[in-house]
Amino acid sequence: MIRENDDYIQERTNSILDVIMSFARLEFNVQTEISSNHDVFDAIAAGVNMLGEELENSVVTIKEKESLLKEVHHRVKNNLQIIASLMNLQAASSTDPVFLELIRECKNRIHSMSIIHEMLYQSKDLSKINATVYIKHLILGLESSFYMQHVKVDFQLNLDERIILEADRMIPLGLILNEAISNSYKYAFPDRAGTIEISFMTENDQYVLLIKDNGIGLPADYDVHKISSLGLQLIVTLAEQLDAELLWHREEGLGFEFRFK
Amino acid sequence: MKIPSTAHELRCYYTWMGTDGIARTKVKENAEVTLEDARANSVLVNSFFVDEKFPILIDSRGIKSISREARSFFTTNGRATNTMAFAILIDSAVSKVVGNFFLGINKPAVPTKLFVDEELALQWLRNL
Repeated sequence: MIRENDDYIQERTNSILDVIMSFARLEFNVQTEISSNHDVFDAIAAGVNMLGEELENSVVTIKEKESLLKEVHHRVKNNLQIIASLMNLQAASSTDPVFLELIRECKNRIHSMSIIHEMLYQSKDLSKINATVYIKHLILGLESSFYMQHVKVDFQLNLDERIILEADRMIPLGLILNEAISNSYKYAFPDRAGTIEISFMTENDQYVLLIKDNGIGLPADYDVHKISSLGLQLIVTLAEQLDAELLWHREEGLGFEFRFK
Repeated sequence: MKIPSTAHELRCYYTWMGTDGIARTKVKENAEVTLEDARANSVLVNSFFVDEKFPILIDSRGIKSISREARSFFTTNGRATNTMAFAILIDSAVSKVVGNFFLGINKPAVPTKLFVDEELALQWLRNL
């Protein structure tokens, strides 16, 4: 009698364990038998079966949402590229250098955001971005955008490859990088080659981003509290958006240091 | 729970409206409830009063299993229903497990409570 009981317990336990292990492997085509005994094994079996069904449903829902999110990022990126192409078309009909420069500035800002959506739909994690990969990608785009300017710029990068940021923080950061680098390309090196140093590291639980050129810098009487340039205004506004402390470096060129959590 | 002669018999349930305005559903012994069973019972329950909401006492003590689709059907918000609360009677180990799903993962949109004692369940429904 005791032996029979032991066999029953063993058999029911093994059957339930097999199903739990299948669920752990995300294999949901199995269910454990529920007898008509209404005993504790039936209760465990019913619970395991139902939890398996809920888990399967959650896995399917997550996969559907991931796929939808990928599609959204893809479409956003495509739409941003369409806007950039429309700007190209508009620019083709003009020879006004001021207008052409405005178009380029807008296109670069759009591109800085478009890269993020491209990286998001190509990545496994649909919400986070590796900052190093992004920054290198952004620099390539800016080098190509300013290629015809014939400004020789050497980039010195010191990037912590472990820094991963969420997209909603990477977007303002990307725009800041875009503005600062574009500003250096346009104004820092009127008559010579130069260097732009970009460092992105962590320091005492803070992220520290430094973008600094060794160009001619701002005029000595330039008041950073009365900024007239849109690019510099954007840098200040985006720093606030990131809740970052912004430090200006005005010795041997112009630099911006952002400290944020 | 005593089944009156006026009760409607479905594949997995006996269902009827009590004279006190509380609907009752008794799950048959060893019933394996599917979405079709849940739907059929819901149609029947909703037919008791067309324009009035009423509570329901569900005796789940004999249940063997209930499919995810059926659980989800009871849970769905906005589903056309006249039910204003569920009191679920449990006692077997299986019915306790199933009942607890209706308190969390498959929580219905209306107030739901588990009871071992039928009289206490009816009291709760009457006081709503």
